[in-house]
Amino acid sequence: MPNAIEIRELRKMYKGGWTPALDGLSLTVRRNQVMGLLGPNGAGKTTTINIMCGLVEPDDGTAAVLGKDAVTDKLAIRKMIGVVPQQIALFGNLSAWENFRYIGKLYGLGNATIQQHAGNLLERLGLDKHADKRIARYSGGMKRRANIIASLLHEPEMIILDEPTAGVDVQSRAMILDFLKDYHAQGHTIVYTSHLMEEAEQICDEVVIIDEGKFVVNGSPQALVQNTPDCKRLEDVFLHYTGHSVRD
Amino acid sequence: MKKIIATIIKEWILLRRDVAGFLLLFIMPAILIVVMALVQDAPFKDYQELRFDLLLADNDHRRLAQEIKAGLRQGKNFNVIDSIDGAPITNEKLKALLQKGTYRVGIIIPKGATAEVINAANIVANSISKKMGIGTLPQREIRDSMYVRMYFDPASKPTFRMSISFALDKYITYSCSNLLVGRMSKLGNMEGIDSAQGDDFKKIFQGIGIKEEALNDKAIYNQTINSVQHNVPAWAIFGMFFIVVPIAGNMIREREERSALRVELIPYAYTYVALGKILFYTMLCTVQFFVMCAIGLWILPLFDLPALNMGTHGWVLLPLSICIAMAATAYGYFVGSVFKTTNQAMPFGAISVVILSAMGGIWVPMDILPQAMQRIAMISPLHWGLDGINQVILRNGSIDRVVLHMCVLVVLSIVLWLISLYVNRDRQHSI
Repeated sequence: MPNAIEIRELRKMYKGGWTPALDGLSLTVRRNQVMGLLGPNGAGKTTTINIMCGLVEPDDGTAAVLGKDAVTDKLAIRKMIGVVPQQIALFGNLSAWENFRYIGKLYGLGNATIQQHAGNLLERLGLDKHADKRIARYSGGMKRRANIIASLLHEPEMIILDEPTAGVDVQSRAMILDFLKDYHAQGHTIVYTSHLMEEAEQICDEVVIIDEGKFVVNGSPQALVQNTPDCKRLEDVFLHYTGHSVRD
Repeated sequence: MKKIIATIIKEWILLRRDVAGFLLLFIMPAILIVVMALVQDAPFKDYQELRFDLLLADNDHRRLAQEIKAGLRQGKNFNVIDSIDGAPITNEKLKALLQKGTYRVGIIIPKGATAEVINAANIVANSISKKMGIGTLPQREIRDSMYVRMYFDPASKPTFRMSISFALDKYITYSCSNLLVGRMSKLGNMEGIDSAQGDDFKKIFQGIGIKEEALNDKAIYNQTINSVQHNVPAWAIFGMFFIVVPIAGNMIREREERSALRVELIPYAYTYVALGKILFYTMLCTVQFFVMCAIGLWILPLFDLPALNMGTHGWVLLPLSICIAMAATAYGYFVGSVFKTTNQAMPFGAISVVILSAMGGIWVPMDILPQAMQRIAMISPLHWGLDGINQVILRNGSIDRVVLHMCVLVVLSIVLWLISLYVNRDRQHSI
């Protein structure tokens, strides 16, 4: 069975860009793994995810997701993966139920399936009592949880999350992380980006640190901490490899 | 198909919750139609159906003055006022009242006007009788400065002045003809003719007359342009094209709130969502058009305006309005695709519709626009829509008369959709 993600020598330069967003990046994610994609601002995390989803085409190199080419088979990939964008990609003036019903229909799901999947997810992420409320009236944490549910309605084999806990309260973060652990335990692959190293330490089997569009280092959080001199936490490892200079 | 229906339902829920957008689509065009139909009612009557107070200072007190007064009173356009509070209107009083703007038009019949006309008739009769060898009538030299003078309120429009001038000229000519016939009769010893025979002479001297006839035998089918027939379809089309504001706003908002990205991430969903949106807004615009027609049929008569006449092939308005709705929707989709922010799209969308409507004959009928503007109007989809509707409701045209209009609107829609599709595909998406 192929790896969940196989990226080889990816290069991408945006129009008008000064430096390449990706500069020969290679990485592999095995199936049923929780992989943390870490890097400072501008490291190339979002470009990598965009290429994996087929939203952006690389200038060079290959990217395969669940055995499908990210350029030629992007529609097949989108069927098999769930993407949780950093921003809330939901219709603010629709209730959570209305959003899920509509998104489910666009995935080609029947009413009963939508009812069942959305019902379970709403319950697990603590939104079942607020399902009829409009998304615009949700708190930040509730919106994040609803955003995750919308990406999982079609029961994808793999999910890609771009900073899913950015700006949420402690309770919501704990609920989201517990949910992701459960989801992983059911045999799903998770690719996860975050600036919060504690989170990555908590849920990732492996982390990949990238910087300036290039692979820097990978390994389990524990192994990276042990093998990097003078490092007690993953954050120390991150700073060791990416430096202390501020990125814009 | 389920995806398209789901999109239509979603758009309907969103519209229902956007009270301002809903009002913009239905209430504003309705108010616009009522107001414009009322405001333009008088100009559309073109002074033919209106009755004006006309001041008359009679310094003559003889036959010409009497015939002018009688003629003006017989016509339905003038209410002749030759005295106020029992006192005859003097020249000075007439000018003062017009200057104040109390009245809009006045005429002064000079002293000796009838004598001058009789003298002129005598000269003509004598020149004829000389050749025939019959008697002569008394005559003298014609005076140069004898005029029936007209005065207008300075605020009167040129068309109004022209209209009054033509009417007055008609009555003076008529009066002079009568006097000439009388002089000729006198020379030919025909003084004994009775009034009935006199009427026959009027007909004889009229020669070839003018009679306006309808194109259709049935009165109901002979609709001429009036304020309602112009303003209801015109502003209904304007309202339909104002859909550009909610469509473009909705598209940009969905891009900004990232729900458009959600759709992009669902395989094959984009095309169905686009089709669903287009269908929804096309249906909405079509419903909007017929609601506006209903206002023309049932609400405007409550304001003493005529009811909208849908023509003898009213059903043609359905496919035609669908084509107009498609063009309006496509234009909204185009604006929503091309512009990145609502700050760009909203003013452009609204102002461009106002410009296209002015060019397309929405504000005033195309016939009164200059030739150059009439040619430029061809680029406005609103012109094609309005002209198509006029073919149906004014000229009783059937589907064959609007096929060209429908084709132009559909082709325009397809072109705008293709451009929108290209722009959207080319836009860089990112999570």
